[in-house]
Amino acid sequence: MIQNTFKRNNVHIRGNGKKPLIFAAGFGCDQTVWNDVFPAFEEDYQVILFDYVGFGNSDITAFDLIKYGELSGYVQDLLDICETLDLKEAVFVGHSVSSMIGLLASLSKPEYFSQLIMIAPSPSYINDPPEYYGGFEMKDLLSLMDLMEKNYIGWANAFSITLLNNTANADVAKDLEDRFCSTDPLFANTFAKACFFTDNRKDITKATLPSLILQCSEDVIAPRVVGEYLHANMPNSTIAYMNAIGHCPHMSDPEETIFLIKNYLLEHSMPLIGEGVGNLNE
Amino acid sequence: MNELIENAPCGFITLSSEGEILMINKTLLNWLDYPSSEHFMGNHFNMLLSPSSQIFCQLYLVPLIKVKHTVEEMFLTLHTVMKEEIPILLNASFHDNHQLTCVIFPIRNRSALEDALINARKMTEDAYLEKELALLELERKQQDLLQANLINTKIMRETERDLQIAKKIQETALTKDITNDNIEILSYYRASKSLSGDIFGFYQVTPQKYAIILLDVMGHGISSALITMSLQSMFQKLISREAAPESVLQELDQYLHDLFQNNQDAWHYCTAIYLNIDISTQTIEYINGGHPPAILQEDNGAQHELGATNPPLGTFENILFKSRTLNYERGTRILLYTDGVSEAFELNTLNYLLNESISSPLAQTKEIIQSALENKETIYSKYNNDDQCFILVEL
Repeated sequence: MIQNTFKRNNVHIRGNGKKPLIFAAGFGCDQTVWNDVFPAFEEDYQVILFDYVGFGNSDITAFDLIKYGELSGYVQDLLDICETLDLKEAVFVGHSVSSMIGLLASLSKPEYFSQLIMIAPSPSYINDPPEYYGGFEMKDLLSLMDLMEKNYIGWANAFSITLLNNTANADVAKDLEDRFCSTDPLFANTFAKACFFTDNRKDITKATLPSLILQCSEDVIAPRVVGEYLHANMPNSTIAYMNAIGHCPHMSDPEETIFLIKNYLLEHSMPLIGEGVGNLNE
Repeated sequence: MNELIENAPCGFITLSSEGEILMINKTLLNWLDYPSSEHFMGNHFNMLLSPSSQIFCQLYLVPLIKVKHTVEEMFLTLHTVMKEEIPILLNASFHDNHQLTCVIFPIRNRSALEDALINARKMTEDAYLEKELALLELERKQQDLLQANLINTKIMRETERDLQIAKKIQETALTKDITNDNIEILSYYRASKSLSGDIFGFYQVTPQKYAIILLDVMGHGISSALITMSLQSMFQKLISREAAPESVLQELDQYLHDLFQNNQDAWHYCTAIYLNIDISTQTIEYINGGHPPAILQEDNGAQHELGATNPPLGTFENILFKSRTLNYERGTRILLYTDGVSEAFELNTLNYLLNESISSPLAQTKEIIQSALENKETIYSKYNNDDQCFILVEL
């Protein structure tokens, strides 16, 4: 199980701290996206980085069309990682769709997590007038799928059939120099459908853990109204408005991202009882 | 801007690290139908993009530029001023002055062909997936079949065991051979399957009177066997009451009619032969209801047939059964049998076998007929599918 989960999700552990802090990349890219952010946490935390199956250096032979056709498949992988590492009260930092994956994981096993940091989150991308504005019409998301199919970024194989036919052939993965971001029709399309067509508006109301919503400026994917909707409907949530423009503040403005996360964790942290803190007079 | 770049045969655009448009060439403006670049200055690159391309740039262009500082062959769709879509390829590189330089080529024809290719690939992949699913389904069905087969085998084993037990029960209902100074009665009984449609009984009713009955219910197997068993318990009761042969067969006949009067599907008829032997008066009273004729052989070898006196039981309602009576001398032998026995041989074989062994003990005669039957079976296996039963009497 340990070997399998580590290999499957390309898990890396860094840092000298005791308290675990998990970084989960958003849709389409791997843990590299955190390169400008995670070093700032290595001193105080045990930093955990991983890739979803089909991205980065994950084990693509573990890909399962049915399992990863639903968000629950990704949630399960995150829970597997927590279980394997025997985590307790980890800080979870998720970008974009990973915010929801983290939330769903925390609903299933709250003991693994202490706080959720959501960067550019959205509970649902499709407009549902009059009461909800997600930013997109169904047709926009369908043409996004078409667009992905006509971009050949980090494809594992020109034909998904070959992969499906032979996922046991791990050489396919080795042929690729770089799968930092991928539009591979098999992995990316399957993940995209799970991400963009899932409505988690019911789940956010069940949240119990304290959470921070980092709302970017001029983010087309998660506009301000979406962040405000989340904040209004997710119990125990805090919202911070960022100066960073776009959907990827951890890449475009890592300093602001680090600052806001640290700030929030300071305000909301439980003092850690260190090991071996005995009475000095003994 | 450099004249060359302004009118170059490609779109040229520079962006700030935030995605703000800094410069845009004439060629691109013309493609997008904008009169001048003033519309764009200070606006975000998203202004040129279709909604899906705006998402795509956030998901892929931003991270790739950030990490790789360059992208090649990115496919996007631009929106003209009239919101018409132009499929394009974009190459971009990031420079130290924190500017993103992009070159753009429309690819209308290539894009249309690519769409067709992608559709063809999708169809192939869908067909492949369907095939895979069908195969999985097939495997599942095969598993189900194997499972069903296992259950079937188990049920068959249980049924076979039950039938063997039923066979034992049926055999225990048969009466034992009788041998004394006045009479000797021997029997042979073999079911075609586990259960037989034949049944017999012989009884010493009084010190002077013996009754012998042999029935053959149409068909064989479980249904016939069940009927033989119910008939058996009936005739045993009737015979022990010293009922006359007519009334015994009358009652059995009525019983069969009652049994099936409301159920034609279950209808069975039955042939029967019934003998009453009185050793004090040396008479035989018999009724034959559609049964193969019994052979009576006198001491001197002369043979007579006790042929049918009535149709089979359960065929016509309210038949009057009428018995016949004949006298016999000591040393007379009688052979009663079911059609499973006579049909295994050529005509008159039984008469011949009986005659041949006239001077042998009755037990040996039985042996001869039995081994002839069992040898026949190996030769004519088609006769192996009926119940066989015969009774030998020596007076």
